[in-house]
Amino acid sequence: MSNQTLSRRHFLKTSGLIGGGVVVAVALPGCAFQGPHPIEVADSGFVPNAFLQITPDNNVIFYCPSDEMGQGIRTGLATIVGEELDVDPATMLVKAAGSHEDYNNPEFGVQGTGGSNAVRVFYEPLRQVGADTRALLLNAASLELGIPSDQLRTDRGFVIVGDNRYPYGDFVETASTLEMPVASPLKAPSDFQYIGADAPRIDALAKATGTASFGIDADLPGMVYAVVVRPPVAGSKALKYDDSAARVAPGVQAIVPVSSGIAVIAEGYWQANQAAKKLTVVWEENALSAVTSQQVRRDLKTALDADDDTESTHEGDPDKAFAAADMILETDYYAPFLAHAPMEPLNATLHITEDGAELWTGVQFVGAAQGVLERLTGLPRGDIKIHNQFLGGGFGRRATLSHIVEVAEIAMSIDKPVQLLWSREDDLRHGFYRPAAMMKIKATTDEEGRVTAWQARRSGANITAQTMKNALPGVLPSMPTSLLNGLVGVMDYVFDNWAVDGSSVEGLHETYSLPSYRVSHASVDHGLPTTFWRSVGHSYTSFAVESMMDELAEARQIDPVALRLKNLEGKPRMQNVVAQAGKLMADMSVPETHHLGFAAHSSFGTDVAQIAEVSVTNGNIRVHKVTCVVDCGLAVNPDIVRAQLEGAVMFALTATLYGQIDLDGGAVVQSNFHNYPILRMNESPAVDVVIINSDTPPTGIGEPGVPPLAPAVANAVYRATGQRLRDLPLQLT
Amino acid sequence: MITFSLNGDSVSFTGDPNTPLLWVIRDEFKLKGSKFGCGAGLCGACTMHLDGSAIKTCVLPVAAAADKAVTTIEGLGNPEALHPLQSAWVEHNVPQCGYCQSGQIMAAAALIAEKPGASGDDIDQAMSGNICRCGCYPRIKAAILSVAGSALGYDATAVEARS
Ligand code: FES
Ligand code: FES
Repeated sequence: MSNQTLSRRHFLKTSGLIGGGVVVAVALPGCAFQGPHPIEVADSGFVPNAFLQITPDNNVIFYCPSDEMGQGIRTGLATIVGEELDVDPATMLVKAAGSHEDYNNPEFGVQGTGGSNAVRVFYEPLRQVGADTRALLLNAASLELGIPSDQLRTDRGFVIVGDNRYPYGDFVETASTLEMPVASPLKAPSDFQYIGADAPRIDALAKATGTASFGIDADLPGMVYAVVVRPPVAGSKALKYDDSAARVAPGVQAIVPVSSGIAVIAEGYWQANQAAKKLTVVWEENALSAVTSQQVRRDLKTALDADDDTESTHEGDPDKAFAAADMILETDYYAPFLAHAPMEPLNATLHITEDGAELWTGVQFVGAAQGVLERLTGLPRGDIKIHNQFLGGGFGRRATLSHIVEVAEIAMSIDKPVQLLWSREDDLRHGFYRPAAMMKIKATTDEEGRVTAWQARRSGANITAQTMKNALPGVLPSMPTSLLNGLVGVMDYVFDNWAVDGSSVEGLHETYSLPSYRVSHASVDHGLPTTFWRSVGHSYTSFAVESMMDELAEARQIDPVALRLKNLEGKPRMQNVVAQAGKLMADMSVPETHHLGFAAHSSFGTDVAQIAEVSVTNGNIRVHKVTCVVDCGLAVNPDIVRAQLEGAVMFALTATLYGQIDLDGGAVVQSNFHNYPILRMNESPAVDVVIINSDTPPTGIGEPGVPPLAPAVANAVYRATGQRLRDLPLQLT
Repeated sequence: MITFSLNGDSVSFTGDPNTPLLWVIRDEFKLKGSKFGCGAGLCGACTMHLDGSAIKTCVLPVAAAADKAVTTIEGLGNPEALHPLQSAWVEHNVPQCGYCQSGQIMAAAALIAEKPGASGDDIDQAMSGNICRCGCYPRIKAAILSVAGSALGYDATAVEARS
């Protein structure tokens, strides 16, 4: 035991399940679970608390601990477990896991999906689950067949003896009486049949036929619908409201104040939506009420000019190097607030009865959603069931819990199952946003283009404290509210005065080997709620860093790719990615009116370089093609890696060309897709993806394709027009 | 009372005739494949066919469907009997989150029915009313192109001749 690495020090359990086959549960490192597994059999089948279930008729069911929001995680994790179990993932039934600490994300310590970490953190544990389960089935087969287990083979869900094939299901009854082997040997990567191969997405058929179930599709007998009228300015409270017209509108059942606004409950969604328009509310003013986007930009700039930011990290003595420099560039870059706008508006369906509560929704933090319900309803955690559905897009938006709080408050006021549904206007106007960021980069290089000093400063709102404010009530359901508020206050104070929230400055220096640098931060928070947005801080820091790299190359009259390569000594993986992408770029021949821009960025353990092919006509920027080179370690399913990069390019291009949430009088201006446009097919570029061959363990892929795109396009626009655009979205003057 | 055909069956609705067709289909007839994305005719998640034409049903009063034929994704095909576009969607691994895909497929199906040999430009034009926030556009386009001219008895040589 002693020489096992931490990540292998988990243990597996089996448990007999009448009629249900064998269930395998694994406690991952850091989990508190020790006792017997609480396995239930319900009418609707197995209530999950484990990863694998193999039925006597040889169906293999995998309970996926991570939430599927489009990133392909159900397919990815099924591939990983199926590889070692020796079952074709395409034949498995993959279901969303229920809520249980055994499904905790090993890195987060709670059950959740984010940070592009799922494949990375579950890679080894789920291989071990598969390998140990296969070993268990072989032990059972050996007993039943009277043949030593080392003379048995397996093949796609069957135990093989000579010419005979026995389905795994034949052995589950015996298996359930045996002890689960531990630390069974894992396959050598050269023996992989599923990992590393293109394979269909497990959810493609359901999603192509309209049969995939999202939170919004929950429909319970007697269910009523709720919409919430929320304040135009975040956090403001209703002083008074007049519901006399709304109350008598068709179908309306009740109108109840909740902590975020006023809820209108009706027989149908449409009725609730129409009645809500008849409500008149007087909202209080708060600190945010007078704030405009222009003021935010000004305040962020003033904060950096004031020069009293807090240091995050440094290396060497940049001041000394700047003093000796013959050329210094110092430039501001700005990125605005952004909304996530997942395609499926937020929703939650809750039924509270005497026996407990059941929630249908799509969230990135199932455990915290359960905690919110525990706190608000007072029900014991075990009586609260979460049916997490497919997420119609997440991008960080579904890591927040305000809609779960709302549905709980509404459901507690009415004796019926209730579905809360946000409109698109609600989504854009009452969200949590990617914070605006001002970045000031000061840099110099030697004559060959090697950076000798680098200073990167960022001002704006932080994310972690705000997100924790939102999540803590769910993560710590039994902590009294007064203590929680105290904790949040301490966090705010710390981030304002002493320490830097890592997610605010991530990406400001890490991609390159810089001999001397300083990264610092000034917190400026106007009170608009913020949260993680696909690639978080990297979504803006890469724009500043990679624009500056091109500006330095220009100043030194060096090829931008060559300059980057000079600053990647000691970062062999990124050096290779940039070199490969540089070669592709050098060989590209494009029409005379098209121009190429380059950028590279490391995030979530993955290195990505992108080349954008751009033309500018009458001030309109058109991106024709984006070529991506990526090293994400071993690509578990290369086709899903390609799809994630294609999607990331489109997501980032929307932000690069259009994305902007404005404030006027503290209220968000944008309301629907006419003024918060999303890239459409006729504007979308072709995307080529080159995946570097690798057998090192997999790293993130959901987010790393986003950061390099904006600077790659800005760098191309500079080549096309001579205009250096330093504000997002990119707009030519 | 408003009567119309829903995926071949005659149905009737007695509620508010101004209710958008989307909500009638989802909440009254419990067909949940068509989605709500914007409620303003801007995203196409709610696309169905009305007498064969693709239409955004979040802004279409149910009264406008009276005596017409409404087809939803459930009526286009199902996991056991896929429409050629649905097969192409699976083959090209098109969906990511999947939420927009019913609307995308319905818009594409109307296009292919009208223009079996649709070109890339035709596709761009016909599909630009449908947003995919996950950015599946390259695959949506590839999937439609794979069907254009190859399915529904269409003669592929005619496409070549034209291009
Ligand atoms: S929901 Fe109908 S167009 Fe968006
Ligand atoms: S697949 Fe997610 S919006 Fe299209």
